[in-house]
Amino acid sequence: MDRSFLADKDVIAASKKFVCIRLATYEDARENEVLKGVFAPGGVLQNTVFSLMSPDGRTSLVRAGRSPAWAFGGQVGRGIHQQPPEVIRKMAQTMEAIALAYPGKDQPVGRVPLPYLADLRLALNVAAADRLPLVAVFGNAAQRKQMEQQLEPLAWSDEFLGRALYVPVNQPEDFKAITGLKSQAAYVVIQPDIFGLKGRVIQEISFKVTAAQLKHSLAEALGRHQPSTLTYEQHRRQGAAAGQRWESKTPNTDGIGRSRFGPGLRR
Amino acid sequence: MGRLYGYMKWKLVGLGVLIVTGGLAAAEVHPEKIAWFGTWKGGLAEAQRTGKPILLVSAAPQCHNVPGVW
Repeated sequence: MDRSFLADKDVIAASKKFVCIRLATYEDARENEVLKGVFAPGGVLQNTVFSLMSPDGRTSLVRAGRSPAWAFGGQVGRGIHQQPPEVIRKMAQTMEAIALAYPGKDQPVGRVPLPYLADLRLALNVAAADRLPLVAVFGNAAQRKQMEQQLEPLAWSDEFLGRALYVPVNQPEDFKAITGLKSQAAYVVIQPDIFGLKGRVIQEISFKVTAAQLKHSLAEALGRHQPSTLTYEQHRRQGAAAGQRWESKTPNTDGIGRSRFGPGLRR
Repeated sequence: MGRLYGYMKWKLVGLGVLIVTGGLAAAEVHPEKIAWFGTWKGGLAEAQRTGKPILLVSAAPQCHNVPGVW
């Protein structure tokens, strides 16, 4: 995935006026169908998809494609992580213009929920790819509800925004790839291994803590996360040599039909 | 009075420098990132709740089947 657009400070600032959704392609059949409705040359789902959409999720407001470069210009292709400043600026400006057209509700009803991933297996992988710690909200439904109410305002605060990923877990068996779990209900801060197939508990924070205690303990635990320092190529080579392998839940159809539609051609 | 004013002024300047450099240090340690909803269902519900537009990206978190990388 081209990281140059999404790591830009103006794009990040504009993203706060959007709901940002990042899916894992080929991991959920229903989400595959959603993605195919957004961009699928020849009806075939590609590895990467990008769009800016209306709040009902039905209309693309820019030209959808494999990456922002399809909508705003710049280089396209595998392994590209640098773009000319003017195309990145165009993305940020377009997002600001869309945010003006869709300013959102003045006072939305309800709380901002945690930006959850679907399950622990996928969340470990995504956290490793993001080089971030993972917070599992672990307990029964009532305990998770209590924990979510405490954690939500922290997760969206300036101090913690984008510093961790979140996943709900309701049974201890789901932690089979994680070492060091002791509690039956807790905020479990996890260090994913480099390849995101395993992990270890950095800290378990009791689900009974106060909001102030949670803030303190969470900051401390997240600070103990150690991100991978491998380059993209080192990661790929070491992973292949060590037999670290990921099987997607649905077939990977990337590349099929790709030659028919390039970013310079209208669909 | 003048000396007290001068002392207070430098205290405030010092405090300002501490706040600014502290903020910069925090930004260097934890560069700002986008907070992503990880499911379509969760993200779409939030877009409908708030009326905000959607920034959608999708990718497989693997390269040549090696996981842990976008």
